[in-house]
Amino acid sequence: MTDTGTPAATPPATTALAYELAGVAHVYPGGGTALEGIDLAIAPGEHVAIVGANGSGKSTLLKLLDGLVFPDRGTVASFGRELTEDALEEPSFRREFRGRVGFVFQDADVQLFCTTVFDELAFGPLQLGLDADRVRARVDEIAAALRIDKLLDRAPWGLSGGEKKRVAIASVLTMHPDVLLLDEPTNALDPRSQVWLVELLADMKGAGATVVVATHDLSIVEDFADRVVALSEEHRVAADGTVQEVLDDRDLLLAVNLIHEHAHRHGSLRHEHVHGHSTGHDHGHA
Amino acid sequence: MHIPDGYLGPQTYAVLDAAIIPAWWVASVKVKKTLKAKQVPLMALAAAFSFVIMMFNVPVIGGSTGHAVGATLIAILLGPWAACIAVSIALVIQALVFGDGGITAIGANCLNMAVIMPFVGFYLYRLVAGNAPRLGRRVAAAGVASYVAIVVASIAAGVEFGLQPLLAHTSGGQPLYAPYPLSVAVPAMAIEHLLFFGFVEAFVTMGIVAVLARQDSALLEMKPAAKPLRWLWAGLAGLVLLTPIGVLAPGTAWGEWGAAELKSTLGFVPAGLQKLGALWTAAIPDYVPPFIANPLVGYVVAALLGSALVIGVTWLIARLLSRKAGDGPSTPAPTAP
Amino acid sequence: MIPALAHIPDSTPRRRASRSLARRTADAIGAAVAEVLVNSEVAARPGLLQRIDPRVKLISIVGFAVTASFVHSVSALSAMIVLTLVLAAASRVSPVSFVRKVMASAGLFAVLLAAPAATAWITPGHAALTLGPLTVTSEGLYIAVRLIARVVAGAGFGLLVVWTTRWTDLLRALTAMKMPDLVVATLAMAQQQIMSLLRTVENMHLARESRMLSRGTARENRGWVTERMAFVAKKSFKTADDVYDAMLARGFAGAMPSLVRLKTAPRDWFWLSGCTLTVALLLVADKMGNLR
Repeated sequence: MTDTGTPAATPPATTALAYELAGVAHVYPGGGTALEGIDLAIAPGEHVAIVGANGSGKSTLLKLLDGLVFPDRGTVASFGRELTEDALEEPSFRREFRGRVGFVFQDADVQLFCTTVFDELAFGPLQLGLDADRVRARVDEIAAALRIDKLLDRAPWGLSGGEKKRVAIASVLTMHPDVLLLDEPTNALDPRSQVWLVELLADMKGAGATVVVATHDLSIVEDFADRVVALSEEHRVAADGTVQEVLDDRDLLLAVNLIHEHAHRHGSLRHEHVHGHSTGHDHGHA
Repeated sequence: MHIPDGYLGPQTYAVLDAAIIPAWWVASVKVKKTLKAKQVPLMALAAAFSFVIMMFNVPVIGGSTGHAVGATLIAILLGPWAACIAVSIALVIQALVFGDGGITAIGANCLNMAVIMPFVGFYLYRLVAGNAPRLGRRVAAAGVASYVAIVVASIAAGVEFGLQPLLAHTSGGQPLYAPYPLSVAVPAMAIEHLLFFGFVEAFVTMGIVAVLARQDSALLEMKPAAKPLRWLWAGLAGLVLLTPIGVLAPGTAWGEWGAAELKSTLGFVPAGLQKLGALWTAAIPDYVPPFIANPLVGYVVAALLGSALVIGVTWLIARLLSRKAGDGPSTPAPTAP
Repeated sequence: MIPALAHIPDSTPRRRASRSLARRTADAIGAAVAEVLVNSEVAARPGLLQRIDPRVKLISIVGFAVTASFVHSVSALSAMIVLTLVLAAASRVSPVSFVRKVMASAGLFAVLLAAPAATAWITPGHAALTLGPLTVTSEGLYIAVRLIARVVAGAGFGLLVVWTTRWTDLLRALTAMKMPDLVVATLAMAQQQIMSLLRTVENMHLARESRMLSRGTARENRGWVTERMAFVAKKSFKTADDVYDAMLARGFAGAMPSLVRLKTAPRDWFWLSGCTLTVALLLVADKMGNLR
């Protein structure tokens, strides 16, 4: 779906994997392991949820997928091309890659750095080299789709949390990316906005985009993902399978600290159950 | 020390507004060179940080609180040029968005808080901290540097105020803008900062540097290595060469009258002064060495001799102190883990 | 002694003076943030100044402020103050809040600073009135009043710019006036981050307020304040890294282009001619009036 108006230098092979990670390890700048021994393959059109407790390396993995950080060991390749610092310095590849992959950050404030919402939405297409009319058309199209067209003239800092998130996502969508990476997208969102987001992700499925979402909120995973990759607290891949396979494996989820056991009393009854971090749970009894 | 509109006349504010633009231009070139593409977010965040620092109420003593400017701190963290830009942006936003501070006075305010403060603070810090300083020395250096820097900046503001009656007055001599002469404005600003705001600034700068150093933060190593001594020598040489300007001033500095002058103005010489005046005969009276005829040359030679003396004594003391402390050869700076 | 020209944010005047440090700072920050949001609201009203092209408005209002520094008679300066009130009213700004804000931010301070100049100690001359040991001279009084009037006029014009111009339009005006894109981008980003940081810092102070059982000593509070400032320092620099990543992720390659379209309308030129005429009249009237 990349539309730069100019023919791509090397059209991506249709059989190429969206992502291929081999033996990837990364260390934080201040020391400490972020990821260890990661092998991962994502085909185009897949909807993948990367789950794991805080600190398991989910954000780092997403940043590796977006070429914002580079692995200390191993390789990260996207659509047949390895992502290295040098590769991304090359202007034509940078444009192609940045236009193809969109990243929605956890904190919307970090992503809203332009003067107005309109400028925010226009930033990406302008960097891609589109002409003014094309850019305006895209901005109007996406703004209408996400229902933020009334906000186009506003400064980002005056918006509510939900509005900021929609603007952040819109600012990425105007680049018409093939791949969408989202880091903890439901954090700090009110319940209605969370529902809206999940519905949006489901819509993207219909459009054929590849979506990778890092989250510790298990409740949304079932609604949009067809595959789950679980990261352990040792920063490795603990499981990689369908939603049913991974989410039903209670021992696994406990081992990676995505859920915890909890006990409380009902009168003389001691009730033990497990729950995750995101929402409450229904015991099925009064 | 934010100066609002109306206190400075156009002779002052127009000159300063014009002068600040090349300063900004040079600063942005320097910053671009070191920070490259990352300059926009880093400068924006540094400006935001500077702005927010000015909002904190800092307790001083009893129940009194004051506000700090933080320009020296930012210079320590990012270097003086980046601090110039960050503080300038904060000041501009204060004026244009929050309605605090004048618009015509932006040049003057930026000169005081975004140029004088960071540069004085930065080089003094580097001078006092030296190479590879330990925590205690860093903190002390930060305190001294920020205190002196804000006092110097306040004196500059005082000078800007105090010049107004001289620069702009009616035919009858009445000041048109800030009405206080140098003799009132400069001491007032200086004393205020020497006794109060200097300490606020020092507490804040020392406190933050201490916390960051204790946490072994990489922030304190961020700036590029500077060569402060080269600049100090250059500055000193410049000042030495400028000393002959003193010849232009007629009369004697206030309070420094000799017996002869008092006799001619008052008609008599106070007994105490008569007695004490004979105690000491200076080696270089009136800053002109006796063997030099031309007073201009004399001034420069006196300046050179005086500077050499001060530097020599300071160096001697430093040597004695360092030998006493038992410092070995300087250890390399601890790298962040 | 001349009071300090320290930056003192405008906090709600009706609170009691015995608020704790944390409360006072939180209130001041809250007031500043609220004011910015109120400004946006005022800038959206259908008033006179709001309708003027932001570049023209900036130039004309700054022109008035500069004129105020060339006008020396109290009567002409008073006329300029009246002009600010008229413009404020025409721009749907409540005269009460306008006056209150001007006096609180610049006016009151100008009165305090000018007062000693009215005394014989600073300005010798004909005694106008004597208050115990202090003598107020008529020359001194005129100088003091002139200073106050000039400062109030300047503050009034400044406030008119701030309140009737949307921040986004101000930035657009700067870009249209050929300010470099990177500079405007930095200003925009700085403002964004300031609002975010202010909220964080306000919450910090409120959290401390809710946890403290007693006022705490100056030393304790100082320790807390500097520790919090250090935290803000680290957060700021971390955020800078994150924002940079976000910019890279959207293809940032060093330039910040923008699609700015500011068009002037006939009314902007009417306005500009009106301003020029007013300025000329003021200067002439001032010259003809008495310059005491």
